Amino acid sequence: MAGSLALALVLGLAGLSFVMRAIGPFLPNIPAAIMQRTTGLAPALLAALVAIQLTGPNGLLHLDVKVPAVILAALLSALRLPLIVCVVAGALLAALLRAVFHL
Amino acid sequence: MPATRSVREILLTAAPLGLAVFVFGVSFGVLAIAARFPGWAAVLMSALVFAGSAQFAALGVITAGGSAVTAVLAGGLLNLRYIATGIAVARSLPGGPLVRALLGQLVVDESYAMAAGAGEPGRPDRRTLLVTGASLYTVWVLGTLIGTLLGPVLGNPTRLGLDAAFPALFTALLWPMLSGRHAVRCAIGGALVALVLAPFTPPGVPLAGAALLGLWLAR
Repeated sequence: MAGSLALALVLGLAGLSFVMRAIGPFLPNIPAAIMQRTTGLAPALLAALVAIQLTGPNGLLHLDVKVPAVILAALLSALRLPLIVCVVAGALLAALLRAVFHL
Repeated sequence: MPATRSVREILLTAAPLGLAVFVFGVSFGVLAIAARFPGWAAVLMSALVFAGSAQFAALGVITAGGSAVTAVLAGGLLNLRYIATGIAVARSLPGGPLVRALLGQLVVDESYAMAAGAGEPGRPDRRTLLVTGASLYTVWVLGTLIGTLLGPVLGNPTRLGLDAAFPALFTALLWPMLSGRHAVRCAIGGALVALVLAPFTPPGVPLAGAALLGLWLAR
């Protein structure tokens, strides 16, 4: 990615993040009904991100070594292991399967 | 009633978290280089955004061929929860609105969780929040810097399974959230919407569709 585009991306995301973190300390009285709605965002978005990562360039599901990596990450996460352990284990499993089976 | 803790005690408690965040920062730097994202921009992003999941989401969109705008929106959507944590910590922060808004930038999931655990119900502990937040910020930026320097040495990212790190990370972030029926419904709906839209729409639209569905289903 070109430097100027990367800079625009960083500043855009930084601006959004700053405003989101600043809203509460600035205006502590946002109606609970609005806050309630935002609780659905994170699970929907994260599940969509997982799904998108499992699709190929044509947008269709492309099942490869990432699938067992995701299953292992979910399993370790269910065992309440730290986030970084789940991620590293998933990546290592994918690398191992690729090296052994040339997937 | 939790007793007031010294800075030293808070730092000792936060040390395991700090190590995890450091390793996380290193992997962000490595993956940024693998995604052909400039190293300096990755470090700048960690310094200005300071939000792992949002930064990884933005990077994930770029890796999948999405635009910079889509990457910003995906990262921004994941950071929406900081509006909620911001409201939760507002009364714990000192000073006027401007100082509070600046100190509020030290809120991440981990510092908020530590402060909420150390404080009274509804009032996260101020010192724990600020000390934990500042130390995690330091190791996050430092880790990213080291990761961008290691990136070129590590070489082909798929050989190390680094492409599988993204879906593994998002899965591990998602799993603890699936505690209620609403959350499970939002997650399944979000994944389905994304999969249905992905073959027909440019990158980013599936994520936006999932986000809208999440807002609609959350009640």
